[in-house]
Amino acid sequence: MNTNDPVQRQMIRDAMQAIAERKPGRSKLVYDKTKRTIVAIAEGTQAPQALNITADDADMFGIVTLSSEWLREKWPDLKTAGFLPVRFSSWDDGDALIQAELCIQASPATVRGILLLGQHENKEAAQLGILLEPTDIQATAQDVFVSPEGAAYRGQIVNYGQQHLHSADIVFADIEPQLALRRTGILETTILKDKVVLCVGLGTGGAHVAIELAKCGVGRFLLVDRDRLSVGNVVRHPGGISQVGRFKVHVVRDLILEKNPKAHVEIYSVDVGFANRDLIGELVRTADIVICGTDNRQSKLLINDLCITANTTAIYGGAFRRAYGGQILRVRPKRSPCHQCFVAAMPDEASDVEISSTTDASEIAYSDQPVAIEPGLSLDVLPIANMLAKLALLELVADKSSTLNTLRRDFDAPWYLWLNRPEPGTQYAGMPPLSESCDEMTIHRWYGIYFDRDDACPVCGDFIASLAASYGLDPSLLPALPDKE
Amino acid sequence: MWTVEQRNRLAIEHQILQREGFSQFSVYHNSAYDTYYASGVATSNSGRRYSLYSPIPSGFPTQRPPLYVTDPLPLLAADGTSISRLGVSHAMHALTPHDNGWVQICHWRDSRWHPGIVLQKVFLKAHIWIEAYEQHLATGRPLADFVRTMAEVA
Repeated sequence: MNTNDPVQRQMIRDAMQAIAERKPGRSKLVYDKTKRTIVAIAEGTQAPQALNITADDADMFGIVTLSSEWLREKWPDLKTAGFLPVRFSSWDDGDALIQAELCIQASPATVRGILLLGQHENKEAAQLGILLEPTDIQATAQDVFVSPEGAAYRGQIVNYGQQHLHSADIVFADIEPQLALRRTGILETTILKDKVVLCVGLGTGGAHVAIELAKCGVGRFLLVDRDRLSVGNVVRHPGGISQVGRFKVHVVRDLILEKNPKAHVEIYSVDVGFANRDLIGELVRTADIVICGTDNRQSKLLINDLCITANTTAIYGGAFRRAYGGQILRVRPKRSPCHQCFVAAMPDEASDVEISSTTDASEIAYSDQPVAIEPGLSLDVLPIANMLAKLALLELVADKSSTLNTLRRDFDAPWYLWLNRPEPGTQYAGMPPLSESCDEMTIHRWYGIYFDRDDACPVCGDFIASLAASYGLDPSLLPALPDKE
Repeated sequence: MWTVEQRNRLAIEHQILQREGFSQFSVYHNSAYDTYYASGVATSNSGRRYSLYSPIPSGFPTQRPPLYVTDPLPLLAADGTSISRLGVSHAMHALTPHDNGWVQICHWRDSRWHPGIVLQKVFLKAHIWIEAYEQHLATGRPLADFVRTMAEVA
């Protein structure tokens, strides 16, 4: 409600309640032709008070959201007992009540409720009673529940222990179909439900990609990251201040489930290092695609090695220092250059990474030569993460019928480059302004860049044969190594 | 534990060392534990000898092999202190020392290592490090003054 005047609020509520119940009340709403607006008239006062009602005031009732799926499941119990206890997470002084079963992250305030089928005495000390009554309103309305027998019901608040709960709209949420409906036409309902995405590294970019893929309907996630969310992370990471101290895998799991409650999320709070090679290798073999958002060379090369061996497509994304730009490498094993090919072909680009954490800094610091943490802005990282998510999506729908497949000709290159600013000291410092260039490289454009696989790559090529040939050796005739303790 | 590719790679690494003038170094297989290491004795231009030891990690060649100076022990800086006590030192181009007190030569850092680098180059860098170390002993200046940074070389 827009107004803060408690008298006005009460008058409007009374009037709306009277209208809803079709009973005369002390206040009523009338259309004022001169003011061209609806006004509330309070009767019985010496000077009847006319109140302007704005469009915002019309949204004056709170919302109580119940899970249709839960209710269908519990319907036999409700029919037998006539009532069901139900608990709500209460937000904004009771303005929005959401059934606890729907909440991934609940409000600290809860409301005990009871769901009634027919007139029953409230058998528990409920703060909120909701009576289900048969209706002939079309079943597609969100305030209508359709029972397993096909009968339609609407909810109505019948009693209340707290003043602010006395009027509210009852909404029945069928989560999965309602979420899928918004993607229909681009991503058909269950197209990604059976896909498995392994997200390695859940920093700002990695977490964003995981959440975007959850919004698209990816059904299963494997999350790997050893870090906890710190206070400093909050200005970049999707996780907020209330999540500080939690492992990022837990934070991102909850954020995924907030967007896709039916997703299956497995979490692994482990280092992406050689000590966990077997575990991560197993996850790579399980996944349809691997998203690598780590910032250090060793973890990327480990993932590259495992993905080439398992024949699993991987996409590597990262920002340059202070996120002046960023890059994405998509590796389709044996069909496009792998990360090692990239390192060998473009060593400078492969080494230009953002130092966004103490862990990243320690990888390259010396005790007598510390390295400063120099993260970029979230808004400079997110274009890279968005692009990565889109490339991942294209890989996931490649074997499906989807409108998105028209993009495959556009995103054919293995390597993508993005620049946020003409960073001094880099080869991009002299770029022309965005508005003055059509052909030259500028900021805020994606560049798809082609380069060849290295046939002698030690990971995806025949390095041994190539090496042997260059030294005049026959790899099939190598003597055994000397045995020595 | 070891893949065929890894065993083949180590076999060829050994042959390259033998054929390319690094025959003082070898790759060995300890069949009792099925582990591998590379080792040998490097002799500086001044004739001093340094024993080098590189345990091959299970993730080789993707994982960087560390390289230690096992003799002299302790390896002393120009001021008479042990270099290993410096820890990860830019001035001395040293990484985390071994528990035994062996100095770890910074040939490539993890952030620069990749599986295309062969052990021959690792031992070549060790030779450069040893010459720089002896210059450090002679002048007292940081070892880093005598070698290009690993970033530049890599």
